Order: sequence, then structure tokens, then C-alpha cells
Amino acid sequence: MSLIENDAPALKSKTTKADIKRQSILLIIAGLYVIYGIVFYYLPLLGWIMAFQNYKPRDGLFGSEFVGLKWFKFLFEDKTFLRVLRNTLAMGVINLVATTITAIGFAILLSEVRNVLGKKIVQTISYLPHFLSWIVVTSIVRDAFATKGMINELLLNLHIIKTPISYFMETKYFWPIVAISNVWKETGWNAIIYLATITAIDPSLYEAAAMDGAGRWQKIKNITLPGIRSTIIILLIMNIGNVINAGFEIQYLLGLGVLLPVSQTIDIYVLNYGMSNFSLGTAAGIFKTFVSMILIFTFNYIAKKTGDERLF
Amino acid sequence: MFKKLTKTKMNGWDWAFVICNTIFLILFCAVTLYPVLNTLAYSFTDGSEAILKNIHLVPRKFTTAAYKKVFNMSGFRQGLIVTVSRTVLASFLSLGANALLAYIISRKNFIFKRSLSLFWVITMYASGGLIPSVLLMTKLGLTGTFWVYIFPGLVSAFNILVLRTYMSSLPDSYEESAQLDGAGHMTIFVRIISPLCKPVYATVFLFVAVWHWNSWFDAMIYNRLKSQNTTLQYELQKLLSSLTQLNPSADSSGKVTDMTTEIQVRAAATIATMLPIICLYPFLQRYFVTGLTIGGVKE
Amino acid sequence: MKSKKIIALALACMMTVGAFAGCAKKKSDSVVDWTMIAFMAGKELNEGNEIQEEIAKKTGVRVKESWNTAQDVASAVGTMIASNDLPDLIDGGNGSKMLAEAGMLVAWDDYLKKDEFKNLKEMFSDKQWELFRQADGHIYWANVFGKTYGEPKSRTHNDEAFWVQVRVLEWANYPIIETLDEYFDLLQKYAEANPKNADGVDVIPYTALCEGWRYFCVENAPQFLDGYPNDGSVLVNLDDPDNPKIEDYNVTPTAHMYFKKLNEVYNAGIMDQEFATMDYDTYIAKLASGAVLGMCDQNWDFAQINNTFIDKGFDKLGYNYIPLGLVAEKGQTKNQWHAYADVPNVSSGVAVTTKCKDPDKAFKFLNQCLDQEIHDLRFWGIKDVDYKVGDDGLYYRTEEMRKNWQNDAFRAKHVCNYSYLPQWGGTHRDGKNAMKPEDQESEFFATLSEPLKKAFEKYNYTSYGDFLRSEHITKLGFWYPMYSHSNDMNSTTDYGAAWVRMGECKHEWLPKVITSKDFETDWAAYQKAYADCKPELFLAEMQKELDRRAALGK
Repeated sequence: MSLIENDAPALKSKTTKADIKRQSILLIIAGLYVIYGIVFYYLPLLGWIMAFQNYKPRDGLFGSEFVGLKWFKFLFEDKTFLRVLRNTLAMGVINLVATTITAIGFAILLSEVRNVLGKKIVQTISYLPHFLSWIVVTSIVRDAFATKGMINELLLNLHIIKTPISYFMETKYFWPIVAISNVWKETGWNAIIYLATITAIDPSLYEAAAMDGAGRWQKIKNITLPGIRSTIIILLIMNIGNVINAGFEIQYLLGLGVLLPVSQTIDIYVLNYGMSNFSLGTAAGIFKTFVSMILIFTFNYIAKKTGDERLF
Repeated sequence: MFKKLTKTKMNGWDWAFVICNTIFLILFCAVTLYPVLNTLAYSFTDGSEAILKNIHLVPRKFTTAAYKKVFNMSGFRQGLIVTVSRTVLASFLSLGANALLAYIISRKNFIFKRSLSLFWVITMYASGGLIPSVLLMTKLGLTGTFWVYIFPGLVSAFNILVLRTYMSSLPDSYEESAQLDGAGHMTIFVRIISPLCKPVYATVFLFVAVWHWNSWFDAMIYNRLKSQNTTLQYELQKLLSSLTQLNPSADSSGKVTDMTTEIQVRAAATIATMLPIICLYPFLQRYFVTGLTIGGVKE
Repeated sequence: MKSKKIIALALACMMTVGAFAGCAKKKSDSVVDWTMIAFMAGKELNEGNEIQEEIAKKTGVRVKESWNTAQDVASAVGTMIASNDLPDLIDGGNGSKMLAEAGMLVAWDDYLKKDEFKNLKEMFSDKQWELFRQADGHIYWANVFGKTYGEPKSRTHNDEAFWVQVRVLEWANYPIIETLDEYFDLLQKYAEANPKNADGVDVIPYTALCEGWRYFCVENAPQFLDGYPNDGSVLVNLDDPDNPKIEDYNVTPTAHMYFKKLNEVYNAGIMDQEFATMDYDTYIAKLASGAVLGMCDQNWDFAQINNTFIDKGFDKLGYNYIPLGLVAEKGQTKNQWHAYADVPNVSSGVAVTTKCKDPDKAFKFLNQCLDQEIHDLRFWGIKDVDYKVGDDGLYYRTEEMRKNWQNDAFRAKHVCNYSYLPQWGGTHRDGKNAMKPEDQESEFFATLSEPLKKAFEKYNYTSYGDFLRSEHITKLGFWYPMYSHSNDMNSTTDYGAAWVRMGECKHEWLPKVITSKDFETDWAAYQKAYADCKPELFLAEMQKELDRRAALGK
């Protein structure tokens, strides 16, 4: 079926037999990959039975006592878990939107630079923060947003505010701060993949557009963006699946004391409650996978309907 | 040709855009360079000053003690060898393995295209957790060996999908004309598709290399007791966490003569491990900054 | 061409790795090499450490110590059990019980019966050893800390207190401070009179750290204020001595009074306005700048600032801290801030694993670690190299020796404490010296700054413990400390889940009630949220354990 659907009409009638024969080598190789995948990725999923047990290292994976859905009940009857779920999804979505837009925007702006050396320098500098650990980044963020920090001083000097704001004593600022930190740290890094895609766009397209008198904006809109569209869609779908992994370190390091109600994510919850309790951690992991899969299938379906590139 | 055309077309709006864009990018650079320079400043600051914080771009009481501490730590040389080995080996192997699979599932007429993609997408979101992985590695005999760094992450769904997306965007005509010349799939993959994929290969190579260069958790889990197999980053982690423990005699008010603090050593370790990656970068960067002209067959 | 180069490069790399894996170190064959993991932070020793070699010569054992890194103990132990990849010796911390249950540890019972292991036996009384006994009837580990041989010698106070800079006491002419009201009053008055330090830094009269596990700095003062020792998670009421009762210090009138006071000083601006989201580095930076007049903390948690004080000359300005043992009511004599008694934490300790090929030798080695000769090597070093012996038989160090032992690089190549193997505090077996140099009188006073010496003179005190004015209780309840039972609780049990929830609830609410504009309302809300965590489940379990331990002590 897919053969006929996908094939170019010219090849279809001529080479069907040869085509299958030609595919046989691909099939064999793909088979080896599947074996690898089963061993290294699917076999460990047997560990999911821990979520239905009182897992004890002493009794092992197949000897521990079964407790049914106890740990799932533990999670969903806990008000904290529901709050933590809300925080995770909220921060996940905000971060996803913020980092995706800035990365694409930055890649496009950079691709508009004609000076190769300048472009290289800017690009090199922009991705450096990716190599700093969150401990280093959060300590800078903390100082910048402190009552006597840079941000407050700037805003005071610009007369935007009259008294300094205690950003870390009020819950409403926390999610934006996390998003800003993520943008700051990862924009340059995330842009690399878009830059690579932009370089592959055929320059003759731009030449032709220029001949037709297209302006800069029209070239971006009609050539650059469509050129990276499929990359955007694929990355977006993959990252939507990761919304449930909104992060751990930055929230753990920055979201202290009065910020705990808005800062704790599922991963932090698992660290606190799942200490020595492998079953609870596994149950939370299964739940996360479940949410991811629903999101992936939904958005993959939407992509299919709109005729875009899709994951599977 | 292209450059000439744009130059002649520069109007007022274009100039405004170029100027704004330049200013914006310079500001952006200043903002992203700051944390790096700040870390650099901390790494050269004396320990007793570093714990007072409040250092911006200039070190206080300049010292190289933190770098000495990093370069003189007992596992430095050994950790460096293992880290370099795993990074080089895994980057090439992973790139090859991922590219080949991406080639297969990006063939428009491949029968298991969708189902294979789904098979790998699932691996991105489903994980059995730490203990089952440890059990598996032990059963496979990888625990306590160097190969535990190479095999588990060899094929990764994220990289496959990035590669696949790029490959599918290439015009079909390349493959078709090669096929008409009687080339087999492996020939097409190696000789036709791969040269066109340099930008995305460079990207994936960078992703994999950086990931391996920075890894330490697997070293801790699988090679905790095999000190000849630990990685540089794990040795650095050990060094950092040892600094949180005080010298037993420091709790009387005596002064520790060569005190280095966690903040300062962490900064030095960060800078020291960033350098090689930055050195590698220019070699890869040309592929995704200057671009390449797709020559050969036209659609 | 290119690919060939790449393959060659890869091969070269593999060979280097192989070569490294292959070249086993050659050492004298009479010495066995063992590995040990302790789940704490620690420093690794250099290859060929001098005292380590000296100990190896005498015992035939060389132990390579590794430490835990950035991973919680439970999952580290869990993975080690799963991979069956264990060292020869281990201090499993909170994972000790898990290791014992999984059958990974060698029982001590038979060895404790034999005369040749009498050093080990001597560590605890028979009754105390019973506390280490696990549910399966065996003893698998012994805690190595907090044990005093003969007379106690310690002059430091390494534990919790309300601290105050010595210059504040000097300014107020060395008063006796007993209550929270007096304490904050003093801090406020001093700050009003001296709002800035000599270098222009604004003083912060009081701050409190509440980050992560370090939130004990705000959390556990009520137990001390009421005059109880540091049982950690609960207090043990002894009104009826034959019938000790578990009580919850989070809901006592003293807790209410203490947090109300903090709320009052916070709103009055005496307490650091940013305390509630301060991280540890920021806290230490504030302390090290000399700005903070007072705080509640454990000494080991902030001792690293001493270096900065000496460097900047702050020690001469009287910025060093003096511990105060505050109590809930004026005149209250019940006070156990400073523990004069030994504190065996039975929840963890050194253990021999089933991976060790020669457990007999392992126990012999542990026993040898307590021989005075080896013990001196570990803590004092080599005679005439690391310490000298005076004509009176007292050990002392020259300024140079002292410096050496404080130098990290020197320690890594020369000093070998084996700090998680059995050891003693207190008095040397010769009856004169201290087991450890930091307890030796001459060593202690040699390192005090002038303002501190002056305070010791004015108050006529000879140790930090004296400032806390604690009762000289040398024998604590047999159950002490109760935290050794709550330490490894987790959400697998109902009471453990309650315990985790209580902690989370306090983490969230304590900063909220301290910064509240309407204390009583928020306090009531906190108490309600706390009650919803079902602390009664936890307390019942603690009572059960208390009864069990009390029965063992009889």
C-alpha cells in the first residue's frame, strides 16, 4: 500500500520487483536495529512491574509483593501531587513556547547577517551558556533578580518601578523567571539545529525571489520559514511530549521556601516522596510516559491532518 | 552573484533592519557572554573572597589555585583519557548508526517507515527507571567496563528523527538518478545522501559529543568501584562534593592554608571542561553557519 | 581516506583504554587492597599516601576509600544491590538497613564473642550493642562516631546553638542571655547603635537558612528551647521516668511562641528580609562578610567562614561567633543544647560486605584500627614528623606541623584518617593526651582569636560548651537519639509517608508563617495543614520504637 501511495509514478510500474529486492538489505539492517532497541530500550520496561509491587531490593524484580494500584492511588489522592502536576505542565508549556520562538527567531536573525566572521562569533558566544551547569546559572539569576540586584537597579533607573521588587518572595514571578533562565541558557544551543536546516535551503530560491523584487520579510516568510517548517514541526511534537519533564534542577535550586507551592515539579516530588521507594518513582514514571504518549499521538494526528511532516 | 544582488537592493528599510539586527545581536551576545565571564572571574578568585560572592567580571585576589586543584586531582589524567576515548568513539559510532537508520526510515517507499518511526519514538518517552537498567547492564556483562558508555546510547530516537527530517527534505531526484545508474542502497547512502547531509551530521555529531563529554552519572553507577574506567566529569563531581566536607581541623579557628571553595573550583572545572568543546566547535560550525551549495543533480 | 583516519583514531583510543585497564598496580604481595564506600562527602587520598602505607605495613590492609557523589543514598544502595557490585567495607548511611535485608552484609555476632576482637566489643556496652541488632537477630554494623574513651576532652561545640558575634557580647559588657526576647533585644540594640560595619557593610541582626535539608536552622529550635536534647524528630517527655512519652515539638506552646517571635522580628525588620528564599551559598556569603550578628545553626554548617575571617582580619574585630543556649522561660534550668554524653547513632555504621573475600581479616583490621598505635597514626600522625612529645608526655604540634595538617595537598599525600572506620574521642589510653588533636588543650587555645580569648576570660569559661549553660548530663536515655529511627523512614510505610508529608508541610509553611502579616490566622492554617499529614501515625511508630529501646535498656 504505502509503496504505491508514496512512490513516484515514474518508478512505480518499472521497478516493483527490483524495489523489494533492493529493500531486503534495508529490512535486514532495520531488523538488527529493532533487536538492539528491544534489548536496550524495551527490555528495561519490564521494570514497570515495580509500580505494582512493594519493591524491595532484597526480593528483586520478580519476587516483591504485589500491591495492585496502591502507588497510583497514593499519587492521585495526594493534593500535593495534583499541584505538582499543574506546576509541571504550566512550566513545561511556558518554557516550550518561549524557547522554541526565541530559538527560531534567533536562527533567522543570525542567518540574515552577511558578515561571516561576525556571524560565527555571535553564534559561538550564544551557545556557551549551554555548558554552564544550572548551579552556576541559578546563582547568577538569583543575584540578578535580588532586591539590590541588576534587574531592580535597571528598572529603578529607568523609572519603570518606584520601589525594588522582591522577585523571589512572590509566587507570581517564579514561572517567568524560570522561562527567562531557560531562554537565556538554551537559545543559542537550540538554534543550532535550525541554522543547520537554513543552510540547506537552496540559495537559488532567494536569488529568484530577489529578482521578483521580494523584500527581506517576504523572503523570510516565503522561503526561510517554509524551508525549516518540517524541522520546526518535528521538534515541536517531540518537545510537546516532553512538556511533562519541565525540569528539576532550576526549580529545585531557585524555588525555595515561600516559592515551593509553585516551584515543585513531578521530578522534585519523586525525589522527596520516592526516596527509598522505588515503586512510587516507577509509578510516577509510568504516569509521565502515559501523558507524553497522549500528547504525542494527539499532535502527530493534528500534523497528519494538516498535511505536515509528522513523527510517525 | 547572490551578494551582489542583495547589495544593489539595499533600501532604507533594509538598512534599518540591519542596524537593529546588529544591535540586538550584540546585546544578546553581551547577555550570554556575561555568565561565562563571570564564571571565569570566579575561577581566578581566592577561596576566602569567592565565598563572599559579589564578583562580576574581575577576579578579586587573583589566584590559579582552583585550576591547580583541578589539574592536580588524582584522577585527572586517567579520567581525561577515558572521557576523550568515549567521546571520540561514541560520536563517530552513534553518528554512523543513527544516520544509517535515518536513511532507512526516510526512504519514501520503505514498507515499515511509519511503524519503525513509532517504535523509536516510544523509546524517547518510556523508561523503566534506573534499577532495571542496572540489572540489564549487569546481565549483559557491561557493568564495570568501558563499553557501558558506548552501547546503551548508541542509537537515539531524537537524533534519528532530526536526521530523518533533514534527509526527507532532500529532493528525491538524487536517489532516483542514482538508482537508474544501478547504485544499491548502501552506495546511495554513503556516496549520495551523506555528503548532502553535512550540516545535520555536524549538528548530531556535536549533540552526541557534548553529551558524552559531559556525562558522569553512568560512570558513577556502573564504574564506581573501577577507578580505571571513571570519566573526567565524574572525577570532577567527586572533587566538588569533597569540598563540601570540611577539613576536620578547620572547625577550630585555625586557617586552612590553601583553601579552595566549592564556588571557585566549580567555576574552574566548568571553564576547563568547556575549552575542548569550544576548540572542537569551529570545525563543525562551518557546516551550519556558512552553508553549502547543493550541487549535482537539479530537480 | 578520511574514514580510515577516523578508524585509526578510534582504535588508538581503544588501545589506550585497554592499556590502562590492563596495567594493574604492582604492590607488595603481603598487603591486601580493599575498597570502601561511605555515603557521605569526603576526600580521596593520593596513591601511596604515607600514613596509609605505614598502616598497611602494620596491618596488612590498604583501604581505598570512595565517597558518595550527588546521589541520594537509597538509590545508590538500590543500584549497588541490583548490580551486585559492592566494595569490601561500607558505611551504608540511610541505606544500611536495605543492605542488611538484601543479605549483603556479614554479621558481627560471632566476632564480638571472641577475645581477639575486644577493641570492637569495647566500643559499646552489651545493652548498647543490642540496639544495633536488626529484625533478623544479627548485628551488621557499628557506628564509629560520638564515642568517648575515658574522660571527655572536647572543648568545641560542633552542634546547634543560637550564635552571636563576640563583639555584640563585648559591646553589652558580657551579659548572660537566656531567652529569645533578651537575644533579639540585644541584637536589635546593637544594630541600632552600629548599623554599619567598619567596611561599610550593613549589618543583618538575624538571619535563618531554610534551604532543603538545612532547614533545621529554623525548624528544630523548639525542642532545645524546652530543654530537650537533639532527638531530631521528636522529643521524649520524662515527666514519668518509668514511662517515657513521645511528644511532637512542632505543636507545643513553645513552638508557637518561637515562630511568633520570629514573625515579630521579621516584620520589625530585625530578621533578614530575604531569608525565606536564600540558598546556602548566599547564606555563607552573608556570614563570611561579617554582616550577620546572630543566627541559629550547627557549627559545622558554617565553620568554613573562619578562613575569610582570618584573611580579612575580621577575627580581630570580634566577628567570630559564640554559641548561646537559649531557653523558653527565664530561669529555666532544663537545658541540653550541649551534649555531654555519647550519642551513638544506631541507624548506620561501618560494615563488612559479603563481597569481602576474607571477613576474618576484615574484622581483625577493624579491631586493629582501635589499637592505640594505629589510632595515633590515624589522628596524630607519625611521631616527630607530625607531632612531638613533651617531657611531661603530652603531645603537641609546632606551628609548621599544624599548618601542614590544615593543608589539603599535604593531607592528601600524607594523612590517612580512615574517618569512617572505628575511632575514639576523649582521653588517650595513656591517660594524659586526647585521642584526637583538636581536643588537646594546648591545641585549642593556640588557635583562639583575641576577642574570643577575652570572652572566655570574662565569663571564666574554658570550653565553648560552657557558654551553652547546659546541664551536665553524662548519661542520656538509652533510646537516645530517636532520629536514628526516623532517618531512614520513607513513603513505603504509612508512618513513613506521614513523616515525609510532615517535612514537606513544614518546608512550605514555616517561611509562610514567619513572613505572615497575620500570624495567628496563618499559624492556625499551618497547624491544620500539619494535622492533615497525620503526624499521629508517625508518633505512634516512634512511641513503639521508644518502648522497644527502653525495654532493652532495662
